[in-house]
Amino acid sequence: MRFMVIRKADEESEAGVLPSAELLEAMGRYNEELVKAGVLLSGEGLMSSDRGALVTFSGGTVTVTDGPFAEAKELVAGYSILDVGSLDEALEWVRKWPVEDGHGNAEIEILQVHEAEDFGHVSEENRKYVGDVRELADEK
Amino acid sequence: MRFMVMVKADANSEAGVLPTEDELVAMGRYNEELVKAGVLLAGEGLHPSSRGARVTFAGGQPTVIDGPFTEAKELVAGFWLIDVKSKAEAVEWVKRVPCTDGVEASIEIRQVFEADDFGDAFTDELREREEQLRLTTKKDA
Repeated sequence: MRFMVIRKADEESEAGVLPSAELLEAMGRYNEELVKAGVLLSGEGLMSSDRGALVTFSGGTVTVTDGPFAEAKELVAGYSILDVGSLDEALEWVRKWPVEDGHGNAEIEILQVHEAEDFGHVSEENRKYVGDVRELADEK
Repeated sequence: MRFMVMVKADANSEAGVLPTEDELVAMGRYNEELVKAGVLLAGEGLHPSSRGARVTFAGGQPTVIDGPFTEAKELVAGFWLIDVKSKAEAVEWVKRVPCTDGVEASIEIRQVFEADDFGDAFTDELREREEQLRLTTKKDA
């Protein structure tokens, strides 16, 4: 099963403070461990929300609001996708998160990723269609 | 440049309501358009936070809190990773996400860091190691 591990934003990430060489190295080592264990599928860091936007759909109307957005702790600063046997295994990995990050004060959220089998109520034909589109994207 | 496009959770997604067959097909068609335009890199849907957890580090010490978490609008219900020329192009794509009339949805667009953005702190050696890691993990990127 796959889990999305989300590093929540904080004041520094929202202020555009870039990771130090020390943090980049610690994160690289952590990711290397994940890769060696065959657990890491992907991961990215996100720029502060002032480079982003929010698109809201309401009653058929679309509204675009440019960032920044106020509540840093509600925002995502980065993520990884892990392939593990259980939520507990994901938690074991997250407990080893580099202490260099956020000066030892970081919030990480773990959410389970949907798999095709979760959509048992959808016809086989349409599940195959959605799977085919995914394969096309994966080829890129 | 790459953008992460996140669909915010709402009461329905947090209640574990799955998309209907029609909604799933509409999303499939939208994704197919993104693929044909060479824009889509990855995308996933997420389970409600009741199946997740949070780990809070304070002074290096982790505390684990099991889901669910109360503020649905702070949570992510799904995402796309897209490769486009500008934020404006990302916004144009997001405006076309299939949202049935009358449905409320909130979608956040955030720019993804590239190696060049980290400056000198990201030394040549670190960059090389990261590139190797990405090659190993690329199959599902």
